[in-house]
Amino acid sequence: MRITCPHCGARDAQEFSYLGAADPKRPEGMAASEAAMATYVYQRDNPAGVHRELWYHGAGCHAWLVVSRDTRTHAITAVEPAKARKAGATA
Amino acid sequence: MAETATTSTAVSWTQHGAWADIAQAGQLGAAGPAGVTAILQGGFGLATLIATPGGAPALSGLVESRTGITLPATPTIVSGASHDAIWSGPEQWLLRAATHDGFAELLEALSVQAAVSEQSDARAAVRLSGPQIRDALAKGVMLDLHPAAFAVGDTALTSIAHIGVHLWRLTDEPDGSVFEIMVARSMVGSFWSWFAASAAEFGCQVSIDRSTGRG
Ligand SMILES: [Zn+2]
Repeated sequence: MRITCPHCGARDAQEFSYLGAADPKRPEGMAASEAAMATYVYQRDNPAGVHRELWYHGAGCHAWLVVSRDTRTHAITAVEPAKARKAGATA
Repeated sequence: MAETATTSTAVSWTQHGAWADIAQAGQLGAAGPAGVTAILQGGFGLATLIATPGGAPALSGLVESRTGITLPATPTIVSGASHDAIWSGPEQWLLRAATHDGFAELLEALSVQAAVSEQSDARAAVRLSGPQIRDALAKGVMLDLHPAAFAVGDTALTSIAHIGVHLWRLTDEPDGSVFEIMVARSMVGSFWSWFAASAAEFGCQVSIDRSTGRG
């Protein structure tokens, strides 16, 4: 599998580390309920299809990326810098 | 007594280049005309520059006013008369000076616009050329270094044999492409072990350029 880093170009997946689902949002600090934290920490979808996930380009530019990958085929349809998402620039 | 102690300290602090005790000048591997040429670099000034958020244009302007070169926004190297700016990630660069003259003062001046970290003794660099250099590099580099895919001035952060490397393509020579590879100094022994084994079948002429960091 190759991932096209928006900064570096197409690279072997060996250059990246996988973190997991990109979309879970950490509940707000000390106010969160135990149930909300448990959901955030443990509950994950396991889709047979497109999955948005975090990858770290550790052997390259050291950027965190959000990769949209089909779990059935490994076809990658989008790769965005996670930084842009964090700043609210993309959904 | 004090004088004796000072003298012994002075003697024990000797310069030790990044390639010392690891690579030697001479022919490596197959005899005959060398298919690969390696020139071990030393003596350069090097620092990482990381722009403040949104501060890349101002930093580039400041670098240009001091060195005549701008900071590349894409994975390329920009070379001037005495300095190189090498892309090393989004809004990050390596700034290399041919010599240490005035380098500390330059970094001081740039520190108003960037996080600056002096790296002169933290990296080792080698300039690689020769008609079979791409065949040797293909044994470890996962990127396509064919001239159609990797242009003069292109740079890449990648890994060779699990060792993080920073490589770029310099101006061609009559016998083909020229590359420069920079590795963390602590990994030089491992890198050279890979390189020497990979280049051996082509015959590799190794020499040392102690004068400057420029090929
Ligand atoms: Zn990258």
